[in-house]
Amino acid sequence: MSSPLRSSSADNPAGRALILVVERNPAVQRLERFFLEQAGYSVEFASDGVTALARAQELCPKIVVTEILVPRLDGLSLCRKLKSDPRTKSIIVLVFSHLHAEDRALEAGADAFIVKPIDEDHLIDIVSKLLEISSEGAGG
Amino acid sequence: MAIERLKTGNPNVDEVLHGGFPINTINVVMGAPGTGKTILAEQLVFANATAEAPMLYLTTLSEPLDKFIQHGQSYEFFDSSKVGETVFYEDLGMMVRERGISALAEIVTELLTERKPRLIVIDSFKALNELIETPQDRRTILFDLASVLTAYNCTAFLVGEYSGEMMTDLPEFAIADSIILLMKQSTGVREQRFLRVEKLRGSASVPGMHAFNISEEGIELFPRLLTPEISQLYTSEPERVNTGVAGLDDMVEQGFWRGSTTLVAGPTGSGKTIMGLHFIREGVVNNEPGVYLGFQENPVQLSRVMSHFDWEPKEPVKNEAFELMYRSPVEMQLDSVAAELFRRVREGRVKRVVVDAIGDLKKSSADPQRFSDYMYALTQWFATENVTCLLLYELHHLFESPQISDEEISNMSDNIILLSFSRSEEMTRKIRIIKTRGSGHDHREHTLDITSSGVKVKKFS
Repeated sequence: MSSPLRSSSADNPAGRALILVVERNPAVQRLERFFLEQAGYSVEFASDGVTALARAQELCPKIVVTEILVPRLDGLSLCRKLKSDPRTKSIIVLVFSHLHAEDRALEAGADAFIVKPIDEDHLIDIVSKLLEISSEGAGG
Repeated sequence: MAIERLKTGNPNVDEVLHGGFPINTINVVMGAPGTGKTILAEQLVFANATAEAPMLYLTTLSEPLDKFIQHGQSYEFFDSSKVGETVFYEDLGMMVRERGISALAEIVTELLTERKPRLIVIDSFKALNELIETPQDRRTILFDLASVLTAYNCTAFLVGEYSGEMMTDLPEFAIADSIILLMKQSTGVREQRFLRVEKLRGSASVPGMHAFNISEEGIELFPRLLTPEISQLYTSEPERVNTGVAGLDDMVEQGFWRGSTTLVAGPTGSGKTIMGLHFIREGVVNNEPGVYLGFQENPVQLSRVMSHFDWEPKEPVKNEAFELMYRSPVEMQLDSVAAELFRRVREGRVKRVVVDAIGDLKKSSADPQRFSDYMYALTQWFATENVTCLLLYELHHLFESPQISDEEISNMSDNIILLSFSRSEEMTRKIRIIKTRGSGHDHREHTLDITSSGVKVKKFS
């Protein structure tokens, strides 16, 4: 497994890459927190799209992992907003949903799409690969 | 003024509802778990969702929203590209947990103003109802919700695992404009689903229990067959139909009346199937398309039977005027078979029908009275559509049978032919016409020979 990348803007004080997870269901939140933290990431949550947008602007996480079906602003709309805002467009967006909507997610500007249910190995693998790619891009 | 209706996405359900659900109504879809309530509701939602008419599907506390999505996507009607565009799923259960059940009407109002849907489903509404502590609170909360749903231009569906006795106790049944009951019935190891319209305010509907299956396409319903209103029309075409069985037509004044139903009863091996094949083959020769509905011999076995005879065309089963509807008697459903046959008749595609045999159809019916009603309606439809029909019926006694068939089937048949064996060493096949309606007939018993040309009545002079 790749090590989480370190970054000055999106890492917490312990130097762990920050992931913002957008998920309405507390039970799913708990599972995602467990797996992502176990893999060495720092995790923040938002339960709806509007809050997530504000949190993303405030925290500048490395990755936003979002369900599509979240209240107030759905995950795809959130993705479009993040990618169209110069302040947040560099944030990696991983759409993680029960809805089979890979094409729509990519059209909305998502960097990757994976379908639920949670397969922790797959989730961590994708997250670390996205961080690697992002790091290579940043390194020129 | 004609009522504006919402199509269900399923033409046969629309037929039962006389065109669909009246719009701007509150409707209850009830039934035990696993009866297909959510599938019915989701099919309705996806069939009607457009940018101008978005749909709102509110899940509650019976199943997590993710389950709805996961399961829904296994059906062909579930268009995931519509989710979030014209079909909006929301977790009402979560909102109610956060704000309390007393805020139900307020939460729904917020969602209505946000999404502006033309259709709203609350699934399961019963699960929300269980959060309400007193009957007084239930009345008040339901009244407030009904007020919002009635005030807003949308059609609402309250889905729930309600049982029949709850209909008199719970206020949602009082406010409902329609109540649709879905149920499962088991007979031995067989299980069948049924839909019944319990209430449809301001509109007629097709009464009774309508069987349905659930497939990848969603709900496949078979509306209960009703007897046509003008059944006496069946005598209107004064034309005789040849059976193709040499010597038989002469016994009934040159053939049976067109549109008549003839019961051919006899023990195994007495020649019923060959007689049925003759009848359909004669139709092929005279350009009268026919359907052979068979439950015992599969197409290969029937072709083998026909290949023994010097018939032209050699294989009528390959002729487009001859349709073989083979159904295995295992897991066969009366309603689906009858509905399929009836559809062909109504489309005017067939002139002759053979059912081989009635006993197999009857075995697949859970309720003998229902079977009888269905057969009566079907034969009346045959009559009004001038479709001539042979119903084959297997008797269990080789030589003499104490009774020809169930009383109802005999009564609904215009003509009855009895096949049997003689008790002689040769066990000669015998044929006798027991009854003809509106026609004279030869009452005598004759020999039925099987020759290279098929069966043939050998009359004694």
